Amino acid sequence: MDGALVVMEAEGAGPVPDTLKIVVAGGFGAGKTTLVSALSEVEALHTEEVMTSESVGVDDLEGVEGKTTTTVALDFGRITLDESTVVYLFGTPGQRRFSFMWEELVEGALGAVVLADTRRLADSFDAIDFFESRGVPFVVAVNCFDGHRTHRADDVRVALDLEERVPLLLCDARDRESVKEVVVELVSLVLRLELSGA
Amino acid sequence: MSAVPPGEEFPREWSFESSLIRPYSLTGGRTRPSRSDFSMTSQVVAVPSGAPPEVDPELELILSLCARPLSVAEVASRSGFPLGVTRILLADLLDQGYVMVHTSDWERNRPDAATLRAVLDRIREL
Ligand SMILES: Nc1nc2c(ncn2[C@@H]2O[C@H](COP(=O)(O)OP(=O)(O)OP(=O)(O)O)[C@@H](O)[C@H]2O)c(=O)[nH]1
Ligand SMILES: [Mg+2]
Repeated sequence: MDGALVVMEAEGAGPVPDTLKIVVAGGFGAGKTTLVSALSEVEALHTEEVMTSESVGVDDLEGVEGKTTTTVALDFGRITLDESTVVYLFGTPGQRRFSFMWEELVEGALGAVVLADTRRLADSFDAIDFFESRGVPFVVAVNCFDGHRTHRADDVRVALDLEERVPLLLCDARDRESVKEVVVELVSLVLRLELSGA
Repeated sequence: MSAVPPGEEFPREWSFESSLIRPYSLTGGRTRPSRSDFSMTSQVVAVPSGAPPEVDPELELILSLCARPLSVAEVASRSGFPLGVTRILLADLLDQGYVMVHTSDWERNRPDAATLRAVLDRIREL
């Protein structure tokens, strides 16, 4: 990104890259870890955040009665575009009770991918609502577990009640080229927003 | 890990628990860092020759991971400490001047069109 950014030089430790964060949300088993791994230059990294009821707020713990803490697993990947630019992809569970994690992840995020599983499309509603309400640019990637042929993007769009302006594409989370297309679609959306002054 | 003499092995759970309790104990029961400079992708780098002669092994581990710039999330992942604990320990290290932290401007302002185009080109080339 020649001339586009100022690189902070850490004495003797090399340049400190600027970072872009992309959030990948989707229901259990939707293929988040698979998608992140497909593009990451290292095997998907794993970390956990432990939240206490104090920090989560009582409302958010509805549905997990008796628990005072909850652990959210995050898988993430790293893509070094050049020595001054690194993209991080964070995979996070797509259920509303994990929204405290989304709050943190969407802070400063470039945008989000909602990974929908054709067998459980309804699992994507929470994430879609959340990103819409926060004004986070997002695309919906439909992970076609049972093969692309059986699904038409238009049908999925109707089933998800998705507005026309939200990009939707079919993908195979295991396939690097397919995942690249998803990320390109998202960055293209952000570019369109930037150019339109939105 | 050095080899444990026969008969002195601890049950798996024991070592696992202790390896988690140790970093927690370093936080002194705190659940929040002393400062909020660390986003998930903030890059942390150890100040060269800034490490004190004696430092807790957990902090030493973090400092060695940050010999080159590394994100907060990667520090957590590679150390095995939960994110919250990692942030607290990093904040302590920052307070003591042992690490520097840099959060990208892109966390505050969306990159401009030229940058986004360059990012797109690079992703397509991957
Ligand atoms: N056939 C097929 N299998 C897939 C695809 N994507 C993921 N899988 C498989 O589905 C399973 C779940 O994928 P994961 O990537 O672990 O899903 P996840 O969203 O990270 O799951 P959780 O973190 O448990 O919520 C794994 O066994 C994957 O190998 C796909 O596109 N097609
Ligand atoms: Mg996963």
